Amino acid sequence: MTDRAPLSPLKLGLNVLWSAFWTGFPIKLAFALLFMALGMIHFEARLGLGFVMVLASPITVFAMPILMMLGSHFGEGAGLGLLFLLCIPIDIWAMGVVAKTLFLERLHLEPPDGIGFSLWWKSAVTGALYLPVLWMIVSTVTETAIAISHSIFELEIFHGLPVAEKISIELTLWGGVSATVLIILLVVGVSLIGRLVRSAAQNAAPASDNYQRLVTRWDLMRVPADQGLMLTAMTGAGVVLSVLFWAALPASTPHPHECCKPLEVKRQPPFKPIDALNRGERTLAQLAAQVEAIEKQRAEEEAAKDKHKSGKGKSAEPKP
Amino acid sequence: MQPAPTTSPEPTVLEKVIAFVDERVGLKTIQAKMLNEPVPGGSRWAYIFGSVLLFIFIMQAVTGILLMFYYVPTADHAYASTQYIIHDVDYGWFLLSYHFWGSSAMVVCVFAHMSQVFLWGAYKKPREMIWLVGLALFGIVMGFGFTGYLLPWDQRAYWATTVGVEIMDKTPLLGDFMARFLKGGPTPGQMTLSRFFVIHVMILPAALMGLAGLHLFLFRTAGPAGPFRGTPEELKAKTDYFFPRQVWKDIVGMVTVFLGICTLAFWEPVVLLEEATPDPGDYHPEPEWYFLFLFQLLRLKIFSGEFGQFLGAIALPGAFMALLAALPFIDRDPERNIFKRPVALIGWIVVMTTILIFTVSAIINREFLD
Repeated sequence: MTDRAPLSPLKLGLNVLWSAFWTGFPIKLAFALLFMALGMIHFEARLGLGFVMVLASPITVFAMPILMMLGSHFGEGAGLGLLFLLCIPIDIWAMGVVAKTLFLERLHLEPPDGIGFSLWWKSAVTGALYLPVLWMIVSTVTETAIAISHSIFELEIFHGLPVAEKISIELTLWGGVSATVLIILLVVGVSLIGRLVRSAAQNAAPASDNYQRLVTRWDLMRVPADQGLMLTAMTGAGVVLSVLFWAALPASTPHPHECCKPLEVKRQPPFKPIDALNRGERTLAQLAAQVEAIEKQRAEEEAAKDKHKSGKGKSAEPKP
Repeated sequence: MQPAPTTSPEPTVLEKVIAFVDERVGLKTIQAKMLNEPVPGGSRWAYIFGSVLLFIFIMQAVTGILLMFYYVPTADHAYASTQYIIHDVDYGWFLLSYHFWGSSAMVVCVFAHMSQVFLWGAYKKPREMIWLVGLALFGIVMGFGFTGYLLPWDQRAYWATTVGVEIMDKTPLLGDFMARFLKGGPTPGQMTLSRFFVIHVMILPAALMGLAGLHLFLFRTAGPAGPFRGTPEELKAKTDYFFPRQVWKDIVGMVTVFLGICTLAFWEPVVLLEEATPDPGDYHPEPEWYFLFLFQLLRLKIFSGEFGQFLGAIALPGAFMALLAALPFIDRDPERNIFKRPVALIGWIVVMTTILIFTVSAIINREFLD
């Protein structure tokens, strides 16, 4: 370590986890969206929880199956497992970049080789052990706090309290207790990750460069030597993902709500004016021909009748 | 053997076009001004919200224009045309849902941007005017949300607007005029829809473009505030130009927000309720989520009655906005480190916690109403 004031485990953990979370987030989100478009993931009503679990995968990747066994079902579909598998290399890379930056910039230490992988598996194992405990404690505390706050407001003296006030006070009571416990446990959890970073830092050699050169080093660390290749590869990946997304995107609404079915709309055939005019002309011509035929037939009948009458008249004339 | 002398290659067509435009408008000078802005202390993720907001606005404009190809702003066709967009137009459901969630993302980013500026102390001298214009932009974003909510013309839209206009009516002096102007009649109808539509697609976008331009101009004039801590040596070592690192961070931020909005559009596509009628039936009027805290606040006993409603709906939010506007002139201490400004830090936490508690309370309140 250097002569600078050492960072606490909490700060070390926060530095690594917060930055690694945001470094991997856009890449994971792109895959999550693609799988949603392909219908491979359904987060149901717990999108926020699902995303926290998926996007915080450096620590949730092994904890998730355990949490799901505990009954915390936040989503389904084959894409969920696939997304977690994809998250592993992304998280290892993100942890590596973030940890190297921290070592050079804040700790002024040479980052050890393979720091990304080493921190990732240690964090994942710690998460697998710690997160289910956190989950159970917070769930139990929340349920108990809700029950207690409900029972307090069942007392006679609170019967006159208006509903809006009652809801807000109850929420503040149980939410305060629940949030406090959650924050304390999160602080402990983040400190545990910080201790992993600190133990890696204890074996690291001090960085010999001045601050300006260290900044340049961690800055250039994120940019590969062949920047053209990087930009081409990223653009290519972006294009492929976009094409896949638009190909998979349903043209009509993939409405998940049974309550609100789309209206039954009878589609009218498209109106073509020329065809309609031609059809009208044909109909008119047919009708005119029919009328003409009827008139002709009637005229013939009239003529035949007249002939018949005149024939009869001739035969009725007295013979000379 | 001597190498063959190299001749300068002929400029390509693109280079010629760029040179032509540059000669006339000074393209390269503009580019240099735009991209070579020094960022004190280097690029940061905390600075992305302004660019992200601009991106969301552009996307809202694009999706809004596409929706206008099908949407009919009349009381007898607005609902049917929105249903048509959702169920019959190819990808219409996605465009509408993106536009819907985009407005929420805009509100979230405005809150994040304002919080960042507040916590970083970036509203202090010489950036007071940037803060004031930013507050006006905040009002415009809220106006977009309020006017856009009516356009689908379903029960949710109709009653949220009715409640909103009634709240506006309580404003002293201008309230009655504003409410009558917006409604255009005794009850919301064709005139209301026409006016909201015009405000939503013409007046507010024009105002936003003008003020956003002014905001950017003032920002470039005053320069970025930079981080609130760090030694001068550290800041100097990290100071960088806007391009490429901050541009890269901004792009990543925009992509992330775009993906987030798309995900929300998938998770919860827009669903309309019954067509708007002057009879609410079983429906309990409720505004959009970002106004829920205020709506729940107004349900408290202390804010009941004519005076209480005025206090909760107008006086309190008005005083809060006035306080925000006066902030750079009240807080003249040059200290920007938020951990050395306990009143500001505690104030921000109290405001955010209050908004959170009352928003969640409003959601819980639905169970009681149902």
